[in-house]
Amino acid sequence: MTITVSHLKKFYQTHQKEPGFLGSLTSLIHRKYQTVKAVDDVSFEIKEGELVGFIGPNGAGKTTTLKCLSGLLYPTSGYVSVLGFTPFERKNAFLKQIALVMGQKNQLWWDLPAQETFLLNKEIYEIPDEQYKKTLDELVELLDVSDLLKVQVRKLSLGERMKMELIAALIHSPRVLFLDEPTIGLDVVMQKKMRDFIASYNQLHKSTILLTSHYMEDVRQLAQRVIIIDHGKILYDGKLDNLVKKFAKYKVLSVVLDTYVAPDKFKEIGELTDYNFPKAVIRVPRSASNVAAAQLLEKFPVDDLNIEEPDIEDIIRDVFTSEGKL
Amino acid sequence: MAASQDNLDTLSKEGAAQGVVTQNNRKSYFGTLPIRYARIFLLHFQDVFQNRSRSFVWFLLSLLNPLVVLLFWRGAFQNSSSPLGDWTYNAIAGYYLLLVIAGSFLQVHIEEDIARRDIQLGFLSQYLMRPFSYILMKFFQELPWRIIQGFFGVLVLLLFSFFIIKNGIVLVHDPAQIIASIIILVLAFSISFLFKMIVGISALWITEFSGLQELIGVVDIIFAGFIMPLALFPPFIKTLSYVLPFAYMIYFPIISLLGRLTTMESLQTIGIQVVWLMIFGIIYRMMWQRGIKKFTALGQ
Repeated sequence: MTITVSHLKKFYQTHQKEPGFLGSLTSLIHRKYQTVKAVDDVSFEIKEGELVGFIGPNGAGKTTTLKCLSGLLYPTSGYVSVLGFTPFERKNAFLKQIALVMGQKNQLWWDLPAQETFLLNKEIYEIPDEQYKKTLDELVELLDVSDLLKVQVRKLSLGERMKMELIAALIHSPRVLFLDEPTIGLDVVMQKKMRDFIASYNQLHKSTILLTSHYMEDVRQLAQRVIIIDHGKILYDGKLDNLVKKFAKYKVLSVVLDTYVAPDKFKEIGELTDYNFPKAVIRVPRSASNVAAAQLLEKFPVDDLNIEEPDIEDIIRDVFTSEGKL
Repeated sequence: MAASQDNLDTLSKEGAAQGVVTQNNRKSYFGTLPIRYARIFLLHFQDVFQNRSRSFVWFLLSLLNPLVVLLFWRGAFQNSSSPLGDWTYNAIAGYYLLLVIAGSFLQVHIEEDIARRDIQLGFLSQYLMRPFSYILMKFFQELPWRIIQGFFGVLVLLLFSFFIIKNGIVLVHDPAQIIASIIILVLAFSISFLFKMIVGISALWITEFSGLQELIGVVDIIFAGFIMPLALFPPFIKTLSYVLPFAYMIYFPIISLLGRLTTMESLQTIGIQVVWLMIFGIIYRMMWQRGIKKFTALGQ
């Protein structure tokens, strides 16, 4: 196993202050502490070359888990092993084989071309000349940035800068890559490019990638496996397809009507979620979708009908709101 | 993969894919180490050089204080016929001009960057993720600034020595004393660097960093010799300043360069500097180990 996490817990103590000046005074004498369970008994394993998506709302514990795995945080309890190392010891041999990319933090020199930062990393990671050249050429081609290497970083756009950050983070060919919100703040086109890059990098190098995102699209397109986390606990760990089958309790019937039908007539079929004549969208229980479709075709002036899986974001929202009941 | 593979140099491409690591021989590692450091230094130098105009503005600011004080002394000497012992006007002028160089070359200013950027904004995480020592990286970041500012300082010295001092400044000329001065300078820079590293990482505990910084600034101005040569202070303050570390960062290098230290005094200065270096080294190490534990416990 490349990554093994067993009963990982990370708790913080934070103190609470009552509002206002009086609150400040009281907190001087008597501080109320509260334990925040950022990660609460999380276990999973990741094989070499896997690309796993970590999803969950803000504050769910995604980044905390990633930091525990990369060695930036030491766990309150539990066992973590990455490439056979204990991450928080941060041994050089470990650090040389991993990379942590945080979408909101940059390491590039602002006033110099990005190339100079790459050269610095070459020295820091002690990359031989030949390997450096080969890796750089490959990354530059994959990300299509050959004409930007000599441009001052401050003059690059956010997307271009993000690409350069990725090169800086990958120049030592890490075997394990932690990506924290790699597409944050990027426009749709750039998000797609970034996704394509991550996918092809994973295929090319067989590197293990763990990425967090709150854009469903990132995970849908990239990860075969997702880990859904909320309030520090894992709610689901498995294939994205299975998530749909397992948790979507309904299917969606999309209908195009020939003539207008009053909305309440649909009640006997299922729940009308959207009606904009001639289009109607009806939710029906998963097991009854065939019957419902047949009923629709029989009793309503249907011009066209589609049975669809519900939107993955809806399913996950349901998972989050009904959590614990899984 | 065992944890004993700590001293690895490179991962071979194939080895990496199979999870096998090859080890370069140690001899070549130590052979390339100075070259590696030189490259890292030069890359940082480029970055600072890119900011040379900003660096020059900072330098001009540091110039202000000694030159104003020098003007004051000039007036004082004109109205009074009694010189201050062996501190003639020329010696005083020489002191302040060297103070400009010492202030720009020896006074490390890394603490604010460490406290505000690395610790408060959390950029320390990035340094922790690299297989390279934090303090060494900070050293390579700071050294170019000091070299460039020191260069400005030398320019000012050359310029002003023509206008302000008619008979020129008397500098150290005995070879043994020159060597001693160089050692004192290197040690002064090292103490100053370690001291500012300590001040910087104290932000891991202190949220009100500005207060500490101001306080140290004031103490430094008085006891490092920025106001006037410490020898001219009343005995009590003079003794106190010789006990505190600040004089060994600025004052002693200056008077050593002015040739005002006997061989015995030079050796004594070097001895005290080494002691301070060790004290700061130990303090830094202890603070770093605890601080990093705290930092990684809370996260950023």
